[in-house]
Amino acid sequence: MTATLIEAFRLVLAPDVLLAILLSSIYGLMVGSLPGLSATMATALLVPVTFYLSPIAAVATIISASAMAIFSGDIPGALLRIPGTPASAAYTDEAYAYTRKGEPEIALGICVWFSAIGGIIGTLSLMILAPPLAEMALNFSTFEYFWLACLGLMCATMVARSNPVKAIASMLLGLLVSCIGIENPAGTPRFTFGSTDLLGGIEVIPALVGVFALSEVMRGMTQPEPPKLPPRRFGSILKGMWTLTKQYPWPQVRGNIVGIIIGVLPGAGADMAAWVSYSMSKRFSKTPEKFGTGHPEGLIEAGASNNASLASGWVPSLLFGIPGDTITAIAIGVLYMKGLNPGPSLFTEKASSMYALYIIFILANFLMIPLGIIMIRLASKLLSAPRSAIMPVIVLLCGVGSFATGNNSFLIVTVAVFGLIGFVMERNGYPVAAMVLGIVMGTMVEQSFITSLIKSDGSLWPFFSRPVASILAALTIAAVLWPVAYWAWGKARTVGAARSA
Amino acid sequence: MFLPDKVTGLFLVGLGAASMYGGSLLPPVPGQQVGPNVFPMVVGGGLILCGALISLGVGSALEKEAEADLAAHSDQQEVKAGTPLVDAFKTLLPPLLLLTYVMIGDRLGFVVCAFGIVLSVSLAMGARLKLALPLALIAPVIVHLIFLKLLRVPLPPGILPMPW
Repeated sequence: MTATLIEAFRLVLAPDVLLAILLSSIYGLMVGSLPGLSATMATALLVPVTFYLSPIAAVATIISASAMAIFSGDIPGALLRIPGTPASAAYTDEAYAYTRKGEPEIALGICVWFSAIGGIIGTLSLMILAPPLAEMALNFSTFEYFWLACLGLMCATMVARSNPVKAIASMLLGLLVSCIGIENPAGTPRFTFGSTDLLGGIEVIPALVGVFALSEVMRGMTQPEPPKLPPRRFGSILKGMWTLTKQYPWPQVRGNIVGIIIGVLPGAGADMAAWVSYSMSKRFSKTPEKFGTGHPEGLIEAGASNNASLASGWVPSLLFGIPGDTITAIAIGVLYMKGLNPGPSLFTEKASSMYALYIIFILANFLMIPLGIIMIRLASKLLSAPRSAIMPVIVLLCGVGSFATGNNSFLIVTVAVFGLIGFVMERNGYPVAAMVLGIVMGTMVEQSFITSLIKSDGSLWPFFSRPVASILAALTIAAVLWPVAYWAWGKARTVGAARSA
Repeated sequence: MFLPDKVTGLFLVGLGAASMYGGSLLPPVPGQQVGPNVFPMVVGGGLILCGALISLGVGSALEKEAEADLAAHSDQQEVKAGTPLVDAFKTLLPPLLLLTYVMIGDRLGFVVCAFGIVLSVSLAMGARLKLALPLALIAPVIVHLIFLKLLRVPLPPGILPMPW
């Protein structure tokens, strides 16, 4: 244990890893604070660079950039009432109310301080939850993996803040994309239409870059520039934070727990955590009427929650290769690329790498406080960078970055096509995160499904007869039936209302 | 590119049917009951079902609730009311430029194409030439330097090879 820990520290304290953490933190802070550029986009654009880093440095860049971007999305939210990342949207109003009162430093102080605490508590949950779950998962067979993957896919559709039927359709679309190529149990070319480029299937990373980065640029093309931020001198950012920490223990505990749970659920990430936590905070508050007028309670709870969910999102990703959110969907790609294949054996065979990952998380969250304060002070300068200067460079990076992942120009075509698909889907209310989950997990679902069927000689009984499999199956079926029940309930309600009227 | 639910739903039904048909054409694996055809057919069936439900308007109330929630909490930037044709062109510009690069990138080279990409996106977003031109001259060279020299990505030199 001690030897593993020392080895982990040695891995993290290598100069290239420390430099990677620092640079990606600055990058994450800058991208996250620009309205219209999300934390997921920041992470997706980093992937090609991680190709050329050592495994630990690669993971470190993803962890630090995403943590910083989630926090810094709060900055334009508080100052301009435009959330920098979707994860900040839930409490933008509250933070902006502080700015209207002339106290933006309190809102930003709460955001940075409680984000960092939330991130650290989320990491602790990862440290506590992952090893025992890994031990349990070592006994899983393909039947359990099949249900686990199905449950993951259904969770993503259930928690999407949208129409659940559209979310399921998006997820199926992702599964269909994963069918392309010869990567199936029989090795038969499927849906390749005679193209050699399609034989290898659709590469996940260019598809993600297209869906998350290029489609955001496409949306930005017709949006006006955000208003200029007036230059402003901030008072002390951290003043009074300790008092608030002592004053509101429960919102913090609740925010962290909700964040951790939502993070662990596949597909549900920081934005979902913030929405749920903010509304919970309002419901349980003794003074709900103060919400929206510059009140710390909701900000503390939701700010802690979205950062806590980031770390716990790594639990299903590391254990089963099932992404906890869109950022870990990208991270899984990086893990495979770097030979850290997700699975329970990661915790026994590469324990030092796992400890290193925890250390990086904690380090990044500590680093968030000083770097975040510098970022807040420089915000009025950085936020004045015109969108028309940033977006063209992003288009360029989308193309070159994806090309770099395989030195093949078909990858650029993938980016363009998926950019278009992502744009059209988003515009029509189809959640793209569900599709991404389908693409990432398609191969795993099919492999476990077909292998299980071959093992059981075509019988479906073993899918339900093993104890853990039966529980997972029941949960999955309940998740499938949920939209139907919701629809039937809605129908019954409208019919009832029409009758009583 | 906003389409009514009926259209997107029916498109999904068509896609699902195509997937089922395509799956049914795949050859089975000798001696095995389940082959590569099972998964596309299951997925296709699911798509047909979902597409039909969407075109019937199932669950659209939930979607409106989420939208209203977001609108109430923040100043979402309104889309500028430009002429639809110009807006559509602007939106499609980034993927179109990337596809053009795939076609002519090898001949013209990275730096020249990247100049075109940056300049056109920047101008389309309303930047003045005073900003767009220097950006289009500097950004491609820096990106080229980083990717070719530091990351060793073989970007095509084309008609304007860089000294490094």
